Amino acid sequence: MKRMFACLLSLAMLLALIGCGGSSSQPSNSEDSASSKEIVIKYPTFQVGANTAAPVVAKLVEEFNAEYAGKYRIEVEDVPGDANYADKIKVMISSGELPPVVYGGGYKLLDLALQADLVVDLTDAVNADPEWKAMYNETWESTDCRDGRIYASSSEGQLIGYYYNKELFNQAGIKPAETWEEFFDNCDRLLAAGITPLAMDTADGAWCTQLLLGAMIAGSGDEGLEFMNTSYPTNYNIPSVVDAIAKIQKLYQTCTTLDANGGAYENAANNFFSENVAMICNGPWMIGDFSDTSKTTEGFSDKVGVATYPGGFVYDAPIEGMFVTKQSDPALEEAGIAMVKFFTSPKAQQTALETQGMVPAGATVEITQTALDAFPLLADFLEQASVCEKRGNTLTGLMVPGLEDTFSAELPNLASGADTPEQFCQVLTDFATANPVT
Amino acid sequence: MTHFKLSPKQKAARVFSYLFMALCVLVALFPIVWVVLSSFKTNREILSNGLQLPSTFSFSGYKQALEMAPILKFFVNSLIVSFASTALNVFILAMAGYVFAKKKFRFKNLIFGILSLSMVIPSTALMSPVYTVITKLHLYDTKMALILVYTALNMPISLMILRSAFAAIPTELEEAAYIDGAGFFRTFWQVMMPCAKGGLASAAVLAFLGSWNEFTFALLLTSSTSTRTLPLSLSYFTSQFSFNYTAMFAAITIAVLPSIIVFSIFQEQVCSSLTAGSVKG
Repeated sequence: MKRMFACLLSLAMLLALIGCGGSSSQPSNSEDSASSKEIVIKYPTFQVGANTAAPVVAKLVEEFNAEYAGKYRIEVEDVPGDANYADKIKVMISSGELPPVVYGGGYKLLDLALQADLVVDLTDAVNADPEWKAMYNETWESTDCRDGRIYASSSEGQLIGYYYNKELFNQAGIKPAETWEEFFDNCDRLLAAGITPLAMDTADGAWCTQLLLGAMIAGSGDEGLEFMNTSYPTNYNIPSVVDAIAKIQKLYQTCTTLDANGGAYENAANNFFSENVAMICNGPWMIGDFSDTSKTTEGFSDKVGVATYPGGFVYDAPIEGMFVTKQSDPALEEAGIAMVKFFTSPKAQQTALETQGMVPAGATVEITQTALDAFPLLADFLEQASVCEKRGNTLTGLMVPGLEDTFSAELPNLASGADTPEQFCQVLTDFATANPVT
Repeated sequence: MTHFKLSPKQKAARVFSYLFMALCVLVALFPIVWVVLSSFKTNREILSNGLQLPSTFSFSGYKQALEMAPILKFFVNSLIVSFASTALNVFILAMAGYVFAKKKFRFKNLIFGILSLSMVIPSTALMSPVYTVITKLHLYDTKMALILVYTALNMPISLMILRSAFAAIPTELEEAAYIDGAGFFRTFWQVMMPCAKGGLASAAVLAFLGSWNEFTFALLLTSSTSTRTLPLSLSYFTSQFSFNYTAMFAAITIAVLPSIIVFSIFQEQVCSSLTAGSVKG
C-alpha cells in the first residue's frame, strides 16, 4: 500500500510538471522572443477542417507571414466548428481578454465587443489608405461601422440567390420564376409532375428557409424591402412579414420533404444533391459541393442552374468583417491592423474568389477571368445579380443577437400548424423587443 | 449429465427472457455498429438512407479524418489528461469519501450536500468564471488546466460512489484494525482501501469517461494542438455550410474505442459498486 501511495504522489508531481511545462500561459498576446522583435498574432479561427474557407485562410496566413517575416507572424489557433468559435469568443469578451484580431463572421461579435469597449477604432487607418477606404460603401457602413466610425473590415460578400435542378425543371416544363406568383405556380407544376419543389429546414437557424422567407418579405413591396435593410428590427408584426410567414407555412406543409421539419442545412443540401427536390436557397460556397462525388453523383454539377429571386431581389451584404481589439501593447494593435488590412485587401479577396469561389465583399474588387473560368455557375450568377435592383441583408443577419435560435426553435410549430403566422411573428417581436441592440 | 425437462410455461419464459436480452443487446449495440458502419459510407449514403449497409468498405474516411485533424496528437493528449485527472480525482475523493462515510463531525451532511449540489450547476454557467480563474493562474492552454477542471467536475459523482463504497464496509473491520494498533492512516490505506476496490474502480471509470468525453472546457481552455483533446477533433468535420460525415464517423470510431475498452474491462466492478450499500443486512 505504501508503494501505491508513493506511486500516486509521484504521479501527482509528474502531472504538476506537465502542467507547468505547458506551451503558453496567456490566451492571446504578443511574444517578443529574446532573439528578435517579431510580434506574434495569435489568431483563433473556425475556418479550418471541413470549412470551405479553410484553404483561403491557410494561404493568406502563409503570404502574410512571408511578407512580414521578422516583423509580424500569425499563429493560427484552430477553433473547429462555427458555433464553438462564437461561444469561445463570447466567453473571452465577457472576461475582457480578446485575441488581437477577431473575425465577426455571422455571429454579431462586433457589437458584443463594442459593448465591452474592446474594439480599436480603425477610422484613421482606413482613411489613410485610399484603396482600403474605397471599399467602404453604404452596405459596408451598415455592417462594419457604428456611429460614423469604422470598426471592422469585410473580406467576403453575401451575394445569394437560389439553385435549381435544370433536369427536374425541364420535366415540369418550367423556368426560373420572375415574379412570386410565377414561383408558386412553378411549385404547383413541380408537384403535379411528382417532384418535391423545395429544400427547407428548421434546425440550426434554418438557413435555407430564412433565405426564402427574407426574399419573400423583400419582394412584397416597399415596406418589406425596407424591413430587409433594417438592422435589428424589433417589430415582426407587419403585414409583409406575416404574409411571408403564412406562405412559408404553406410551403412547409405542401412543397418540401418530410425531414424539413427538424432537419438542418445538411439534410436540405442532401435532398438537393440527391435530386429529391428541385430548388435550394444558398450562397456560392455551395458550388464546389455540386461536383463532390461523396455528396452527389457524377455529372450532377451540369444539371444545376442558378437564379436570383423573383422580383429582381438578391441578397447582397458583406459578412461582418475582422476587427482589431484593444491590447496592453500598442505594437500588437498595430500588428492587428496590418493583419486586418492584408486579409481584407482587394488582392486577398481575389485570392479567395479564385481559390474557393468566395464572392468579394468590396465592389471595387475585380472579378478575374481566372475565377470566372474556374466557377462558371458563379459567373452566370454574378451576371444575373448585376441587374438586380432590390438588395438586402439576410434575415438572420438583421436579427438581434440570439433571435435566430428562437426563430429556429419556433419554426417546427409553424411548420406543423401549431403556431399561426401571427403567433409566430409575435414570438419574434417579443424576443427582439426584450433584447434590443442600442 | 442431468437433463431437466422444462414445462411449456418455463420454456415460454425462457424464450421471452432471451428475446428481452437480445433486444437490450440490440439497443446497446445499435448506435456503435451504426457509427462504425457509417464510417465506411459516403456522405450521400449516410444522409439518404442511414440504415443501409455501405456500398463499399473504403477506409478513405479514416484517411481523411487523420489528414483533416491531428487526431493522433489529440488522442495522446486525451490519454494523459484523462488518466491524470482520474488518478487525482480518485486519490483525493477516496479520502473524502472515507471521512464522510465513517467519521462523525459537525455539519457533515450539510458539507456533503453542498459538495453534491455542485453536480447540478450547468457547465455553461461555469464557463466564464472557470476561464477567468484559469487565465489568472496562467494555466491557459496547459494540460494542467484541464486536469484540474476535470478533477473538480467529476468530484460530486466520485464522492457519492466512494462514500457509498466505504459505508458498505462493516465498521467492525475498522474497529478491529484500531484494536490491533493501526492508526488512522494505516487503517485507511491498508484496511479500508482494499475493501473499497470496487467503488474505487467504479469512480475511476466514470471519472475517466467524463474526462475523455468532455468538450466545452477543452475548447475554452486550450488553443494549441499540443494541449487539445480528442472530442474537439470531431468539430473539424462539420461547419455551418459544409460537412464530411464519413470522416467524422471515422473519427468518432477512433475516439470511442478506448472508452468501450476501459468500460468492458472494468464493467463488473462498475456495476457491483454502483449498487454497493444499497442493501442493508
